[in-house]
Amino acid sequence: MSATTTPVATHRDRKPRKQPTRVRSSFLERVAPYAYVAPFFIIFGIFGLFPLVFTFVVALFDWNPIGAHTFVGLANFERLLQDSRFWNALGNTFGIFVISTVPQLLLALGLAALLNHARLRWANFFRMSMLLPYITSVAATALIFGQIFDRNFGLINWILGLLNVDPINFLASRLGSWVEISAMVMWRWFGYNTLLYLAGLQAIPREIYEAASVDGANGWQQFTRLTIPSLRPVIIFTVVMSTIGGLQIFTEPLLVSPESGLTCGAGRQCQTLALFLYEQGFGQFDFGYGSAIGVALFVIVVVAALINFFLTTRTRGAR
Amino acid sequence: MIVSTTAAVGALALGLLSGCGSSGGSSASSGDPNAEFTFWSFTGIGAADSVDEYLAKNPDAQVKLSEVGSTTETATALTAALAGGDVPDLVMIQGDDLPKFVENPSNFVDLRTLGGDDLASEYLDWAVAAATGTDGSVIGVPTDVGGLGLAYRADLFEAAGLPTDPAEVAEMWSTWDDFIAMGEEYTAATGKPFVDNVETTVFFSTVNQVTEKYYSPDGELVYDTNPQVEDAFDVAVKTYEAGISANIAAWSSGWDPGKANGTFAVTIAPSWLLSGIKNAAPDTAGDWRVTAVPGVGGNWGGSVIAIPARAAHPEAAWEYIKTLMSADGQTEHFERTGTLPAAKDSLTSDAVLSYTDDFYGDSPIGQVMSDSVLQFNSFYNGPDTSAIGAGLLNALADMQAGNVAPAEAWETGLKNVNEALG
Repeated sequence: MSATTTPVATHRDRKPRKQPTRVRSSFLERVAPYAYVAPFFIIFGIFGLFPLVFTFVVALFDWNPIGAHTFVGLANFERLLQDSRFWNALGNTFGIFVISTVPQLLLALGLAALLNHARLRWANFFRMSMLLPYITSVAATALIFGQIFDRNFGLINWILGLLNVDPINFLASRLGSWVEISAMVMWRWFGYNTLLYLAGLQAIPREIYEAASVDGANGWQQFTRLTIPSLRPVIIFTVVMSTIGGLQIFTEPLLVSPESGLTCGAGRQCQTLALFLYEQGFGQFDFGYGSAIGVALFVIVVVAALINFFLTTRTRGAR
Repeated sequence: MIVSTTAAVGALALGLLSGCGSSGGSSASSGDPNAEFTFWSFTGIGAADSVDEYLAKNPDAQVKLSEVGSTTETATALTAALAGGDVPDLVMIQGDDLPKFVENPSNFVDLRTLGGDDLASEYLDWAVAAATGTDGSVIGVPTDVGGLGLAYRADLFEAAGLPTDPAEVAEMWSTWDDFIAMGEEYTAATGKPFVDNVETTVFFSTVNQVTEKYYSPDGELVYDTNPQVEDAFDVAVKTYEAGISANIAAWSSGWDPGKANGTFAVTIAPSWLLSGIKNAAPDTAGDWRVTAVPGVGGNWGGSVIAIPARAAHPEAAWEYIKTLMSADGQTEHFERTGTLPAAKDSLTSDAVLSYTDDFYGDSPIGQVMSDSVLQFNSFYNGPDTSAIGAGLLNALADMQAGNVAPAEAWETGLKNVNEALG
């Protein structure tokens, strides 16, 4: 026994004495992990952090990209708070966010439960097809939905016409345009969220359900008492991600119709914050004001994410 | 100090944004008129054909053409480039985007340094004025203008008991009040709307028939006090209240089919849109006519061509302008493409004045377009001209959508503009 252990012990004893080797290798060992993660941080620093910080700087200027840059302090933010277009865009953003996210997550949860059903045939086919809207280009989606909701030749108004109902000009009204854009957002994201829920569902051991069945719990009780609590981490994740994404909706209102332009309609009825930012920054080339909107959007997203986080963690603590 | 540092950083950021293309040839060859130069143009205006025209005349030249995108996209790309990226040697700028660039003329070569002080006299005064900075420098040469007419369906007019001959129609609607009265007559006879919409077809025409628009000649904002602007706006409101508008916005999905189906009988027809009506309604060939708008003349659109100050090969770019933008060059281009020239001699040439198109019957299109831009009043356009126009236009569009009462449209328009100007 001792004969076999001795050389090992000796080897161990000797190694610390090789000071140079040890220092060099441990130095490399210490540095290597940073080197491995460095590409991300360098790229993030250039394309993520720097523009973020720089936006805060530009927001303090009256900044014409091809002319003068004048320091104006907080004037852009004062103007923003008094600008009814900003509050309008904020209202639109939250309106579209609520209309698109709440039904979408409920739908996704229901679909995930269906797809997780043990007796579902061609389950993989249905699961994969959930992703099709997600991998379709937003521009293509916007074009198709624009045609579905069109006032003159849209599918919906054609059906309404068969029922002798007057055509609805969806884009002209606030609620109508919100519904149209929400439909696009839902279409794009419901499959993604369904798959997230499905993954969460599949991680729940079958044994709990069997035990619940033995105890006499019916399907609905199993769903509310077992499925939902087990899915809580996934639900929190989807709600937070949907909030962050929902507050930054941009492409859908931009492309919803060729004549609606950067204001999403003559009355700005569906202009979101991100689109308002784009209109000011890259439509009017008022970089300072556009940046101020960007900072406001940043603050709003952070606050919304924090509220989300506290609400969801508090409900967990209460249980 | 802070300003200059952040400016440098901003330039860097925008340089990254604009995607730094080739970092350009050496400036040693900048005097060579046949050096390869980069040319940014719009899509959909046949820029490649123009370049071919140039190469046919100057076989030694080398042109690197980029069709950047729509007029707005091209202006956005140019702004990013001027702010810190690689600039093209030659660039097209559309009229609506022009004031923002004219406001900072130092970004461009003063073309008088290349073409002489009397360069401007060859072109329409108001078109050159639009490209002239407050310091007198001419940053762009007008390539074309957008002569304005109204297109109408002669067959529908005839069915409604209205005259069909372009000269008679122009006579009958010589004022906007007459236009509305004619529309009421048409709608009473047919039960159908007369005009496609009030914001582009009416307001765009009326607001450009003024002698002073949103700015006074010395650059003061007067959009809210200038009675000419409010009058122009009121014509649009009155047209709406008369119930003769189909309320179909320009470029909305119902616009092209409306032209084909006779949903409305009158639509706006700037020179560059004539081919659009043909494409939208090919089955109505021979039914359309083009005549003068009520009131005095008009213009919608048109562009200039400019050389950025940091261009690597301004001499080569100037050679292009000199060759193609002369009066003769613009006449030739008109004969090939129908693009309405901006050079005065070209506008009064036989080629332009005698121009007709079978699609529009015997309408004297060339005469109508030429008259409209020659009668057009010059007025000062400031950096916010297009933002103000958009604010007023949106109020009218919102009125047509039923969201704003006609009596409140003007106030809504002013509110839109005040917010836009901050």
